[in-house]
Amino acid sequence: MGLGKFIERLLQLIPVLLGVSIIVFVMMLFTPGDPVAIMLGDQHVTEELENALRHDMGLDLPPHQRFFKFLSNALTLDFGLSYYHRQPVWDVIASRLPATIELSLAALVFALVVSIPLGVLAAVHKNSLLDRIATVTSLFGVSLPGFWFGILLIIFFAVNMHWLPVAGRAGFESEVAPITHLLLIDSLLRGRIDAFWDALRHLILPTITLGLPMASILTRVTRASMLDVLNRDYITFAEAKGLSKTKILIKHALKNALIPTVTVAAIETGSLLGGNMVVETVFGWPGLGRLVVESIFVRNYPLIQAAVLFYAVTYVMLNFFADILYTMLNPRVKL
Amino acid sequence: MKRSTTLLALVLASALALPTAMQAQELRVGFTLDALTLDPANHRNRETETIIRNMFDGLVTRDSDMNVVPELAESWTAIDPTTYEFKLRPGVTFHDGSPLTAADVKFSLDRLTKENAMGGQTSPRQSLLGPLKEVVVVDDLTVRLILESAWPILPAMLPFQELVSQAHVEAVGQEGMAEAVNGTGPFKLVEWRKGDSVIMERFDGYYGGATDIAPLGKACVERVIFKVIPENSSRVAALLAGDVHIINSLPTHLVGQVEANPDTTVMAVNGTRTSYIALNNQTGPFADIRVRHALAHAVDRQLIVDKILNGNAALTNGILSPDALGKNKNLPAYEYDVDKAKALLAEAGFPDGLEVTMDVDGANKEIAEAISAVASKGGFQINVVVGEGSMLTTRYRTKGEPIDGQMWLTSWGNGSMDPVGIFVPTHRTADRGNSSGYSNTEVDALLDAANIETDRSKRADLYSQAEAIVNADLPKLYLWVAQDLYGVSTKLTGWRPSPDSRINLHDACLK
Repeated sequence: MGLGKFIERLLQLIPVLLGVSIIVFVMMLFTPGDPVAIMLGDQHVTEELENALRHDMGLDLPPHQRFFKFLSNALTLDFGLSYYHRQPVWDVIASRLPATIELSLAALVFALVVSIPLGVLAAVHKNSLLDRIATVTSLFGVSLPGFWFGILLIIFFAVNMHWLPVAGRAGFESEVAPITHLLLIDSLLRGRIDAFWDALRHLILPTITLGLPMASILTRVTRASMLDVLNRDYITFAEAKGLSKTKILIKHALKNALIPTVTVAAIETGSLLGGNMVVETVFGWPGLGRLVVESIFVRNYPLIQAAVLFYAVTYVMLNFFADILYTMLNPRVKL
Repeated sequence: MKRSTTLLALVLASALALPTAMQAQELRVGFTLDALTLDPANHRNRETETIIRNMFDGLVTRDSDMNVVPELAESWTAIDPTTYEFKLRPGVTFHDGSPLTAADVKFSLDRLTKENAMGGQTSPRQSLLGPLKEVVVVDDLTVRLILESAWPILPAMLPFQELVSQAHVEAVGQEGMAEAVNGTGPFKLVEWRKGDSVIMERFDGYYGGATDIAPLGKACVERVIFKVIPENSSRVAALLAGDVHIINSLPTHLVGQVEANPDTTVMAVNGTRTSYIALNNQTGPFADIRVRHALAHAVDRQLIVDKILNGNAALTNGILSPDALGKNKNLPAYEYDVDKAKALLAEAGFPDGLEVTMDVDGANKEIAEAISAVASKGGFQINVVVGEGSMLTTRYRTKGEPIDGQMWLTSWGNGSMDPVGIFVPTHRTADRGNSSGYSNTEVDALLDAANIETDRSKRADLYSQAEAIVNADLPKLYLWVAQDLYGVSTKLTGWRPSPDSRINLHDACLK
């Protein structure tokens, strides 16, 4: 199964990446807004300097030349200089990526840890108080705008109760030499409990804000799927055999019920990476989402293109991963 | 069982206990933007400069009244209109201990002004040094700056440039300069957590600072952290929660919360950004001067300042701010007069009033709607349309090409605090900030003459004359100069905000 299919998927990436690059490039070409004018803003500049900056950014070349230059450089993983930061795009993105990965992983874990038990229990005790609470809470979770909810959390837990910090990823004292660049893991690996605790305190509110919509969706999916599975013949047969309810649940029902959950989770994770821009802005989280939105506003084309390519790769890989999980859970399906 | 409970208690205790002694010596600023780079020559961004200015000093700087005072230079003289000689202060070292010499000054300025001088790139700050032609090292502590033509504002423009160490730049290279800091400033870099914070600590070898700005000596606090919190509400929340001690860009609608909190207060300073409504002088209803005057009479600016800006703004009848050089103090105001507005509109051919569209970006939407509400009594029906900043810039700042729009509520900042940074771009024919399509050859001539005039009072007079003409033509409706609002903790002493948006923390202390 493994290697052949993996390579096939990798090859599928190529037309996707090409298509995505062309679409983004063309869209940006037709979007008004001049990066040089934006960068200089209200400042006093000479015509010569403007032209020099334009030349530095490669904007004096015709569009098709710019695109081919970008493509050929991208093959060597050289994404050029970020207009705004005037440093290599790769470095700028790489420095912000771990924060987004950490937050997204935390939100994913939070969503799974909350939704699976809740969905299962809601299905098992259908129409009970727990079920109704779970359903209504899911509805809220999916409807609440993250922007508003995040600020509410800040006001309550940080400003009023002083339990948690308002923004950022860690305090000054929580400096650990990076191994994985994920603060929670690195601080444990380095034996720094204080740094771990500090990183965790900073992570809690953004994780809840980011993970809540996903948790809500997954709860409902799990509940519906579990309900469906519990109605199946083989469950009735197992009950007739005299197996305990718990055993039936865990050994027979759960694996099958989780199939839709897993598929949805894998796909939703992709949107987590892209959609956490709001959460990163509210909580001052130094991640990629915020960087990309800032770049769009200042027409920082090289960074936008590189980031979009990154998102495309991530989506495709996540979909592939979802397919693998699916076959693991349901042996009747082949890749 | 007992061991794990003890362990749990220890973990909880260490987590909850804040090391308060350390905290008192750590000053945290809740800031809107991260630094784009830590290379003083490779950016054109005010926020980046504010952060960098704590780690790098310049030849000269400004005090809180915006006077130019010596910093790394002890003194300077103009030998002739195109030659300035600067004497450096002896005994200044960089953070790595190496001494500052005239060679470093030449290197820093060359890096800023020469084409492709930064690893193949040109410094975006080049035009801030105008006609600087050459820098000559006279001796270890003396440099001469030679200009191509007379430029009286050279000392006023030098505070924007900081000095770097030649040896350091050559060692780390152009790319390394973005992150490796070796300056002469009161703080040195500890760590730059991109997108999150810039962490600096006190440089104990600091020479003492600008002699005209007391107190001299090392910085008061041990550590400074610029925390990046772009979202307004979160930044204010951080101040209220005590997570930070200073915040910039405090929005007016959150002023009340900061004042109400016993541990925080608001500090205001006269800003340098003039707000105005750019009117299309070329085509459409505002091409008629009577319609422009009618609009001026129809908008009660003081009311808007009082009600929406909490009084934190100064009205202006021209593009220059009230304290600017060359400000014409006798500009006639277009008084709020609804009848006069309607009469002028009728004269211009709109007896039943006029319907127009005003473009605005999201941040100023509230003000635009207030203006629309107020102007309706004067015969104007203004439809407010919110657009994206960059797209509106493209539509209106056309450098002479036709403008797509009628009115644009916008502003222009004057970071250099010299009229040339605001008057020329916004009013000279086809200049980059001229969003009205305004063209008056008399004004152009006055502006050009002021550019090369070396006598300060003659310069001021030229700008005043230009303001008078512009006031009569009224290409834009000039609104106000808003104050810059900062939220600060009551524990903070020794710091005041300045009009140039600097947050210099050398003298700031925490009680």
